[in-house]
Amino acid sequence: MNTSLNRIRSLIPPPLIALMLAVFLFVFGGVLAPGFTNPDQAVNIARLAAFLGIIAAGQTLVIISGGEGIDLSSGALVTLGAILTYRLTGGDDAMILPALLLVLSVGALIGALNGIGIAFLGMPPLVITLGMAGVVTGVIYFYTQGQLIGRTPPAMGRWLSQALIGPIPGVIIVWVLLGLGMWVLLERTAFGKQLFAIGINRTAARLSGVRVNLIVVLTYMLSGALAALGGFVLLGFTQTVFLNLGQPYLFPSIAAVVVGGTVLAGGKGSYWGTMAGALVLQVINSLLLALRVEEAFQLIILGTILLVLLTMYGRQRSVRQ
Amino acid sequence: MKAISVQVEKAVKTYGGVVALAEGNLTVQSGEVMALLGANGSGKSTLSKILTGVIAPNGGQVLIDGKATSFGSPQEARKAGISAVYQELSLIPDLTVAENIWLSHEPIRGGFIKWQEMRANTQQLLDLFKGLYGTNLQPDALISTLTPDERQLVEILKALSFDPRLIILDEATASLDSRQVNRLFELVQTWKSHGMAIVFVSHRMEEIFRIADKATVLRNGRTVGERVIAESNERELVDLMIEGATILQRERLPVVDEQKPVRLAVENLRTNVLRGVSLQLRDGELLGLGGLQGQGQSDLLMALFGAIRCEGQIVLSGQARTFHHPRAAMKADVALVPGDRGSEGLLLIRSILENLMLASWSRYRTPIAFSKARADGGQIAQELKMVMSSLDAPVNSLSGGNAQKVVIGKWLLRSPKLLLLNDPTKGIDVGAKAEFYNLLDRLRDAGTAILFYSSDDDELLGLCNRVLVLHDGEISAELREDKLTRENLVAASMGASA
Ligand SMILES: Nc1ncnc2c1ncn2[C@@H]1O[C@H](COP(=O)(O)OP(=O)(O)OP(=O)(O)O)[C@@H](O)[C@H]1O
Ligand SMILES: [Mg+2]
Repeated sequence: MNTSLNRIRSLIPPPLIALMLAVFLFVFGGVLAPGFTNPDQAVNIARLAAFLGIIAAGQTLVIISGGEGIDLSSGALVTLGAILTYRLTGGDDAMILPALLLVLSVGALIGALNGIGIAFLGMPPLVITLGMAGVVTGVIYFYTQGQLIGRTPPAMGRWLSQALIGPIPGVIIVWVLLGLGMWVLLERTAFGKQLFAIGINRTAARLSGVRVNLIVVLTYMLSGALAALGGFVLLGFTQTVFLNLGQPYLFPSIAAVVVGGTVLAGGKGSYWGTMAGALVLQVINSLLLALRVEEAFQLIILGTILLVLLTMYGRQRSVRQ
Repeated sequence: MKAISVQVEKAVKTYGGVVALAEGNLTVQSGEVMALLGANGSGKSTLSKILTGVIAPNGGQVLIDGKATSFGSPQEARKAGISAVYQELSLIPDLTVAENIWLSHEPIRGGFIKWQEMRANTQQLLDLFKGLYGTNLQPDALISTLTPDERQLVEILKALSFDPRLIILDEATASLDSRQVNRLFELVQTWKSHGMAIVFVSHRMEEIFRIADKATVLRNGRTVGERVIAESNERELVDLMIEGATILQRERLPVVDEQKPVRLAVENLRTNVLRGVSLQLRDGELLGLGGLQGQGQSDLLMALFGAIRCEGQIVLSGQARTFHHPRAAMKADVALVPGDRGSEGLLLIRSILENLMLASWSRYRTPIAFSKARADGGQIAQELKMVMSSLDAPVNSLSGGNAQKVVIGKWLLRSPKLLLLNDPTKGIDVGAKAEFYNLLDRLRDAGTAILFYSSDDDELLGLCNRVLVLHDGEISAELREDKLTRENLVAASMGASA
């Protein structure tokens, strides 16, 4: 393969490539759509990217865990998280915290079921999480009976979506804190190290004392909880719920992980990468919107950019000769 | 067979700032076995891969029959009649034996693979090692179901299937037992008489003197000399390989203290392979396990480590134990260096540090005290004399022997009381082996009980006071003191009881 491309690849880590791309597109956007590049727009993009980024956090863990790991139930869990919060608080600020705890527990429980199916019943992640997405959606229909009653507590909008510190909305602060937490989890805990290990070689991991099944269950559990948290946070922005709230985030959240350089085969990646990936996707999205590009073309452009990036990162798994 | 002469002149290969090969020279012709010698990380595999087109050199040239040639891929090299047995093996675990051997040169008619013929051809190749492998090894068996030695045999047959004029055997004997090695050497002699050229890489000096005609020695990526084997000796070759090296010369083995407590007592242990094994091991004792490959040695070690199911009684430090997971065994201060570093020991794309620490992270609290972990990792790397650019380099950038040291280092870090070793010196150079043996002595002095399987009889003879020889899942002989001889080892490994 092209050697100069190879050199770029080995010199600059994928998360940095993604971040540079996001900045470049943001600046370059001003040329295509005059007025696009301004501080307000920057804050707005970062805010929207934060929602996507939080939703993609669990997906990052699941993909790193390998074994064809993917969580297709995250979209449905986002919806569930938002609807539960909407209904349980009924617009009462005092109920926010209890609702949050419940949302996290429900997400964790459903995620754990995914994990158990994968680890103990040997089901492929794609199959069980897709099935779980259906089940969760069914439960939502049953629970709401098609009537979305409830309200968004006013404090959620204030704290999350609107400017909180200077021009910066709370969700960005939440996102950065989550980023730090994810870094500690992945790079500075035994769990994180073992997660990377099972993503590469489960036999070697087991023979080094890693309880592979336990790690798998915990990972899907975290993914479920984080997706539900994403729904909770998203409600602060949308202020209202609908049955298809989370589903549109599913594909972009996987794309953000991959754009950030996390290897789909598992065992290698970072949440910083996913954060940069979410920024890239959101800049593109906002730019295409500003340019009034038709939806069909939006998808084509997005797909093309994904392909180009993935070629840049290459097949990072070294095939040994 | 058409004669061949191959010459590598001043080959250079660098990875970023790392010099893998500074000046590689090698000449080999038809009818000749050329040994390629050097310490771990000296550039043997790199030089081999340049010859087979896997690696593109940064400088120098390759002359085939006097003509400058540069291979863009292994396929091109194979067309020119060069194929290789790679140290880290090139087999695909999820394909069958036949598919692996004939990959990219399947017998084809009208665009379809002739399966029947492919299977028959595979069987024919397997017959070269008839009677020397398990019943598992069939043309249709998946590679992932094979033992390390069986994989090694398949890799050899794969290289052979290209009908090469030059074959490179990079550590092809490291996981073979004495009978398999003998057979391979018979084959090498035949190939040689048919005019094939052979490049042979091994860290077992005894093999070099048995099979090679000449030796080319590499040191730190440079060819430092060529010798005719008949006119040289081990001392001279090792001196060329490693400056100021000491080969281990033991006059007397340390005596086992019969007063020391029994660390491990096993009674009638059974698995799919083991058919009732009993043994006793004291603190400070190094007990050898011998026998041909696949007679149950791996099963025994894996069962003691809680990695596979077993029946029977295991008494550890005076307590009957059943481990359902390696983690439980680790908690009881048991450690296992597994037999196949690629599939059982390493996370290839992760860093050296992470590999060393995988079994120990929980000892560094949460959040992990990283600088402490790094210091400990650095210390063990130094102790084992690992040749590496940094602890953060991925394990797959290490040479084979250095990667093996990572697998060993991982378990030494845990200071186990019972150390189970499954052929741990695979691919480790002469100097490092001597140091490893010294290290075992120190562990033994400190009271560690060690159960040690080696496919290398010399190693067992040189290290152990007592060797249990396994045959067909049972202990066929317990050899000690003056009974512990090469002849008795060989006899017992064929099933004769002593
Ligand atoms: N992909 C790579 N990236 C960086 N360094 C590498 C890479 N491959 C090999 N090296 C380095 O090049 C040197 C030579 O490696 P090589 O595998 O040729 O050694 P070797 O003589 O075969 O050793 P061994 O006896 O341990 O198999 C080593 O120091 C190794 O770390
Ligand atoms: Mg090598």
